[in-house]
Amino acid sequence: MVDARQPMQGGSGPWLRAVLQWMASWWGVLDFGSQMLVLALSPSSYRRSQRKVMYRQLYAATAPQLAAFVVIAAVVSLVIIRIVVATAASYGLSRYALDVLVRTLVLELLPLLVALFVALRYTLPGAQEVALLRSQGRLRELWRAGGDPARDELLPRVVAGVFAVALLAALGCLLALVLTYLTVYGFTAWAFASYTRTVGQVFNPAVTLIFAFKALFFSLIVAIVPMAPDPLHSGDATRRRRDNIGLLGRVFALTLLVEVFSLIGNYY
Amino acid sequence: MATEPEPDPAPPVAHLELKARLLLLLMVLLMAAAVAYLMYARGAFERTQELVLVADDSEGIVVGMDMTFSGFPIGRVGRIELSPEGNARIIVNIPRRDARWLRASSVFTMENGLVGSTKIRAFSGVMTDPPLPDGAERKVLRGDAAAEIPRMVASVRELVSNLSTLTGSEAPLNATLHNLQTAAERLNGPRGALGVLLGNETDAKKITLALERTNALLARLDGLVLKADGIATRTDGLVAHADAQVFGASGVVPETRATVVQLNGLLADARNSLKKVDAVLVEAQAIGANTREATADLGSLRGEVDASLRKVEQLVNEINRKWPFKRDTEIRLP
Repeated sequence: MVDARQPMQGGSGPWLRAVLQWMASWWGVLDFGSQMLVLALSPSSYRRSQRKVMYRQLYAATAPQLAAFVVIAAVVSLVIIRIVVATAASYGLSRYALDVLVRTLVLELLPLLVALFVALRYTLPGAQEVALLRSQGRLRELWRAGGDPARDELLPRVVAGVFAVALLAALGCLLALVLTYLTVYGFTAWAFASYTRTVGQVFNPAVTLIFAFKALFFSLIVAIVPMAPDPLHSGDATRRRRDNIGLLGRVFALTLLVEVFSLIGNYY
Repeated sequence: MATEPEPDPAPPVAHLELKARLLLLLMVLLMAAAVAYLMYARGAFERTQELVLVADDSEGIVVGMDMTFSGFPIGRVGRIELSPEGNARIIVNIPRRDARWLRASSVFTMENGLVGSTKIRAFSGVMTDPPLPDGAERKVLRGDAAAEIPRMVASVRELVSNLSTLTGSEAPLNATLHNLQTAAERLNGPRGALGVLLGNETDAKKITLALERTNALLARLDGLVLKADGIATRTDGLVAHADAQVFGASGVVPETRATVVQLNGLLADARNSLKKVDAVLVEAQAIGANTREATADLGSLRGEVDASLRKVEQLVNEINRKWPFKRDTEIRLP
């Protein structure tokens, strides 16, 4: 493993050193991610003794965010629905508006919004706490005291992140579907059958599967990437802020990559 | 290096476990509802029957698209496959409750619009026909708006050129319209339609006169018809009388029938007489045969008579020679 804390020296290969650092940092993420996945899939991680800390993190990840997210998702959805419906109507293509809305809003935009929302509101602050615990050596203390820092401190945060993304994405999609129906048809139940039919046509088995995988990968990225130990982290407050921005960029880049792959899967 | 602040311990939450469980329950409910709704939207809970549409080209058809009847979706494409003949087989799943709109005589069309996807439509003309059976196979009629456009443009261009020719200032239509206008003016004139038909007033007057005379003729014809009526009545009586004469009890027909009966008797008698004549003829034939034989005998008799006569002649000649009064028949030459 390259010691990335060494200041970069000029000379033969500064770019080589940068590449190695970059690779080491991603390796760290992968390593941490696999550890967390293994722990998450182990029944021993959900023992009664673990439940309290698990519940605390689940609650912290979702409940405080719920109201704010519902408001933001509703506003964003309404604006986009209005734009799409008005544009489609002006071109005389109203009958395609529903299809476009379900595809853009429910399938693509809202999951992305949820991922970034959870990253900003829960996992990045959580990652900061974990970094602080690391730098203060408290994880090491816990280890010495016979605890398992990965299981007691990190896994609950990762599981809570995954849960938050899944719950908020489901909630946001439901909200968007209801708002779309109300905006297009108004307060009537008569169009429910045709609306359901359109939604059913969009959600064919391939699209549904890709959507489920996308949500899963978004949640994993948002929950794992910020928590991974960063070799560049020095404990300095200024440096840490810069690291946070870097982490957000990393999360955003990865979610975009998944998004691109899902688009390729859906439309090619 | 400044000492790092201690991370704030999170304030304790009342009923944390209950709230967390509620959140988990919400999550489970949302997921179950989403799965159930999507399955319902995809028609997983509907009992369906299949309809196979055969098209020469399945371009624009995608799995999951609707088949409509009067604008209402009543089925969706479940599968598209290639038949051994190279045709596209589009298998449409139709919910049982919507299948009643399809009859054995229903027609199916596939239309490619200029904008939007291909549409499959069903038309049922006779709703009293038997319902479409499960797994029925029908040929789909294809209408392609994009393919029709070039042909339509060519036709429209021809039409416009014909219209230009028709409406030109030298066009026959223009002259016809002009003549029509003159005719209309004359129609409104004192002689009206007759004037238009005949062209001049003298002929029109003649026609009027002819009409008057025809009227008089018709009046006379009326009288004639009345007379003919009387004659017909009388003829009726006559016919009745003749009927009685011919078909009455002592009419011609019964008498004729009696005569025919008598004639039958006569004919029987004649048949008997003829039989007798037949017998006579047979006998006559026998007499004829005998006569023929007698004739043959007469031939031989004649031969004998001939021979006797020749002998008598020779005898006479002998006597003549020997007779003193024999004439000298010899001619002496000097």
